[in-house]
Amino acid sequence: MKKHSPLQILCCLLLVSITYMSCKKDAVAEPDPAAGLIKQSEGYAIGAATKVEIYTESGSITTGYNKFYIALYDSVSGIRIDRAALQLTPMMDMGTMQHSAPFENPTSENASNHLFACSVVFIMPSGSGQNWTLSIQVSNLSTNKNGTLTVPVTVTEPAHKTMNSFTSAANGGKYFISLVQPAKPKVGINDFEVVVYKKISMMNFPPDSSMSITLYPEMPTMGHSSPNNVDPVHISQGHYKGNVNFTMTGLWRLHLRFMAGESVADTTQYFDVEF
Amino acid sequence: MKNIYFLFLVVCTVSYRITCAQTDSLVNRSPDIHIIELKEVIIGSVQKQNTDRLLQFYKANSSATLEDILSRLPEMNLIRRGPYGMEPSIRSFSGGQLNVLVDGMRIHGACTDKMDPVTIYIEPINLQSLQVQTGNKGFVNGSATGGTLNMKMAEPEFTQNNTLSGIFNSGYQTAAKAIYESALLNYASGRWAFRVSGTYRNNQDYRAGGGDITSFSQFRKTNYSLSAKYQPDDNTYIKADMLADDGWNIGYPALPMDVGYAQARIAAVTIHQKRGPWQLYNWETKVYGNYIQHNMDDTHRPSVALHMDMPGVSHTIGAYSSGTIQLPKKQSIVLRADASSTYLKASMTMYQQNQPPMYMLTWPDNTRNQYGISASLYLPIDSSLSMQINSRADVISYHLVSTQSKDQVSILGNSSGRMDFLKNISIQVSKKISKKISHAMSAGFSEREPTASELYGFYLFNSHDGYDYIGNPSLKKENTLQADYSINFRTIKNTIQFHAFYSQIFHYILGSRENSLSAMTIGANGVKSFSNVSRAFITGAEATAMLKVFTKTDLISTVRYTYGRLTNSRPLPYIAPLKNITSLRYQSNRYSVQLEYEAAAAQNRINEDAGERNTSGYILLHLRGSYDFLLWQKQVSLQSGIENILDKNYREHLDWGNIPRQGRNLYIQLKFSF
Repeated sequence: MKKHSPLQILCCLLLVSITYMSCKKDAVAEPDPAAGLIKQSEGYAIGAATKVEIYTESGSITTGYNKFYIALYDSVSGIRIDRAALQLTPMMDMGTMQHSAPFENPTSENASNHLFACSVVFIMPSGSGQNWTLSIQVSNLSTNKNGTLTVPVTVTEPAHKTMNSFTSAANGGKYFISLVQPAKPKVGINDFEVVVYKKISMMNFPPDSSMSITLYPEMPTMGHSSPNNVDPVHISQGHYKGNVNFTMTGLWRLHLRFMAGESVADTTQYFDVEF
Repeated sequence: MKNIYFLFLVVCTVSYRITCAQTDSLVNRSPDIHIIELKEVIIGSVQKQNTDRLLQFYKANSSATLEDILSRLPEMNLIRRGPYGMEPSIRSFSGGQLNVLVDGMRIHGACTDKMDPVTIYIEPINLQSLQVQTGNKGFVNGSATGGTLNMKMAEPEFTQNNTLSGIFNSGYQTAAKAIYESALLNYASGRWAFRVSGTYRNNQDYRAGGGDITSFSQFRKTNYSLSAKYQPDDNTYIKADMLADDGWNIGYPALPMDVGYAQARIAAVTIHQKRGPWQLYNWETKVYGNYIQHNMDDTHRPSVALHMDMPGVSHTIGAYSSGTIQLPKKQSIVLRADASSTYLKASMTMYQQNQPPMYMLTWPDNTRNQYGISASLYLPIDSSLSMQINSRADVISYHLVSTQSKDQVSILGNSSGRMDFLKNISIQVSKKISKKISHAMSAGFSEREPTASELYGFYLFNSHDGYDYIGNPSLKKENTLQADYSINFRTIKNTIQFHAFYSQIFHYILGSRENSLSAMTIGANGVKSFSNVSRAFITGAEATAMLKVFTKTDLISTVRYTYGRLTNSRPLPYIAPLKNITSLRYQSNRYSVQLEYEAAAAQNRINEDAGERNTSGYILLHLRGSYDFLLWQKQVSLQSGIENILDKNYREHLDWGNIPRQGRNLYIQLKFSF
C-alpha cells in the first residue's frame, strides 16, 4: 500500500480544516444589513440590470431632511451589488411647473454594509396635483451598465416642522434649512445638526458653507433655555454640527440665528423638538 | 417638682447610671460640647451641668417642639421657611457644614429645598439629650466644618418589674389653634424593657403679631416610636429602635410650594458593652437604616402658572462602632469607626395641556458612600492642666447611579463621580486657674465634602434670593481653620461662661450668578451655580450667666453675637444679629412662675446677593406658669402661659420671606403621669 507523504497529510488536514471553517462561517447567517430599516419602495433600474430597494429608518417620508438607504441586486442572479455610482433626482410635478429639491448622493461608490446612504430634503409636502418622484440613476461599475428607476414618493408634513426656508437679508439669496439631529432627543447633551442649501435655480440647490449659526434652545411653555450649548459650525457639504442640551423632557424650541459674515442673514428660524 | 419627675420618669438601673456617668465625665471635660439632658432622672445621676440648668428654663412647656428648644441654645439659630421644619444653624454654619445626627445615625432629608431637616423627626418626648459639638470638636462624628448636633433618643427604662408607667400630654395654643397630644408608655419585665410613644400635632394657620393670619402656615403630623432593650447581663445591653414620622399638609409661607406628605422610617439595632474586649470601655456598635420620602404640593396655592409634582426619596444605611481605651496615668483615647451609604433621588414633573409632561431630575439619582475613623486622645498633664487631641479622616465618594442622571449631569460638567479624602485635627488645652475659674483654648483644621445639591442639584429654586441653583460637580472641599477660647466661672450656685470663636473658611461654597444662563422657574431672577469663594470668616462670642438670685429664684441669661464676612469684604449671609434671652423663674414646691425677655438687635449687615433684607430689632416678653397636683393619686401638672405678650409683629433675620412670626399666644397644657 502506498504511503502518504507527510506533506500530503498536512495538505489534507489543511483542506479539511478550511472546509470546516468555511462551513462554520456559512452556518452563521450574515446579519441583514437592512435590519431595523423599513422598505419604502423597490423597482428595477432598466438598462443597468439592477434591482433597487429603497429603505428609510422611520418608514415615512416627510418634508425636510430624509435619509435613504439603497440596496442594489443583480436582477438576474440576485447577488448584491456593492460597487455602483448613484445619482438622485427628486422632482416635484405641480402640473404647470416642476422643481427639484436639495439632495445628497452617496458619498462613496462602495456600499457600506451593502447599503448606499443618501438623502433628500423635500421642500414641500405631496398633495393633490403635487406629486414627488425620486429618480435613482444606477451605474453598475462592474458591468458598466447604466439605468434609472423612478418611484413616486408621498411626502407628508411631520408633527413638528424640520424644514424651513428664508431669504437672506444679507444677500437676497434663498436658503433651505433642515434639522438632522437630534433625531432621538434625550435629557442631557444631544448632537445638533442642520443642513443648509442655497437655491440657485428650480433645479439646483447646492450645499452652503458660508453661514455662521447661533443656537438658542428654549422651552416655550416656561421661557427658559439650557446651559452649555455648542453653536453649530460647518463640517462639510452644508452640514453644521454642534450640541444642544435638554434639561428636561417636553417641548423645546431650537432658535437659530444665521449670520453671513458680519451681516445678519435671518434671525427668525426655529425648530420644535418634543419628547 | 423634682420628686414628681422621679415618680414618673423612672429611675435607671444602677449599672446604667454608671455608664452615663462615665460617658459624660469624659465628654464634659470639653467646653466645646454642650449636652442638654432632657430628663432630670439622668441629670440627677451625673454632675449637674450648666446646660441642664439652661434646659429647665428653655424647655418652656411640654408641648414645645424640638425647634423651640433648639432656638434657645446660645450656639444655635434656625433658618425658617415656615413654622415647621426649621433648619438648624450652629454659629452661622448650616446645611452641609453640619452633621445633624439622630442617635449617631446619619439621615439625609429627601427635599431638595431643605423643607425636611432631620430635626423634625425627633419629638421632645423621644429625646433624651441634645449634644451640640461646636468648632474643634464638631468633626469627631463626621467630617464637618461647622459642628455636630446629635439628638439622643430616649431609651426604655428598667423600672419596677412588670410595671407599666406612662405620661399623657394634651395641650392647646391659641395663635395657631394648635392641638397637641402625646403619650408615652414604658414597661419593664426581667431583663427586658420596652418603650412606646406617640405624638399628634395639628396646627392651623397662625395669627401673626398685630392680628393678621399667615396663610399656608398650617401643619399636621404624627410621630411614633418603639424601642426595646434587653440586658443579658449587667455589662451588656442590646437595643432596637424604630421611629415613624408622618407629616402632611405642611405649609411653608415663605416658599412657593407646601408639602403634601412627608414620611420617615428609621430603624436601628445597638449593642453596648460597658467593658468590651481589648480594654475597650463603653463599646457601642450600631447598625441602622432609614427611608425618607417627601412630596411637595402646589395645589392649594392660588395662581400657579404651571402645576408641578416634586417627589424626593432618600435612603441611608450605616453602622458605627466606638469605644474608649483607658491608658495609664488617667489618659484615655476614644476611638470611632463609621460608614454609611446614602441614596438620593428627586424629580420634578410639570404639566401643560396638549404637551408631553416636562420631567427632569432635580437630584439626579446618586449615592454617597462615606467611611471614617476618628480618635480623641485625652492627656491630663497635671491636676489643673489637660490636653485633648481630636482627629478624624474620611473617605467620601459620590456616584451617579443611572444613565439618565449621568446624561443630565454631563450638561453641567463631569459626571463620572468623585472621591475625596478628608482630614480633620484639633488640639485643646484646658487650665484650671483657681477653684472657681477655668479656661480653655483650642485650634484646629476641619474639612467637609460638598453636598449632593451643591454638586448635582438641578435648577433648585431658592425663594430667598429668587434664583435657580445648579450644582457644580468640580467643587473643591470646603475647609476651615478655627480657634476657640472659653472661660468659666463657677460656684455652687452661680455659673458664668464666656466663649469666643474665630473661623477662617477656605473654598467657602456659595452660589454665584451665572448671567449667561436662563432661570427655569417662572419668575425667578436668574441662575446661580455653586462655586468656591476663596475665603470667608466667621467670628463671634456667647455668654451665659446662671445665677441663683434668691433661694427659689433663678436668673438665666444668654447673649450671642456673630460677625461674618467674605473675602470681598461683603457680609456673609445668614448671620443672626446680637440676641439676648433672659429668664427669671420663681419655683416653689407646687408651682412656678417664669418671666422671659427676648431681645434681638437689628441686622443691617446683609448680603443682598443672597436675597437678604434688613431686619428690625425686637423685644418680646413671655410669661409662663405651672401648677402640680395629685388627682386619683396620680401626678398632674397644669402648665399655662402667654408668649409674645406685647403681640409684637416681628421676624428673625434668618427667616425667609417677609413672613412675620406668631403673635400673642396663650397656651394651656395638661400632663398626667402614672
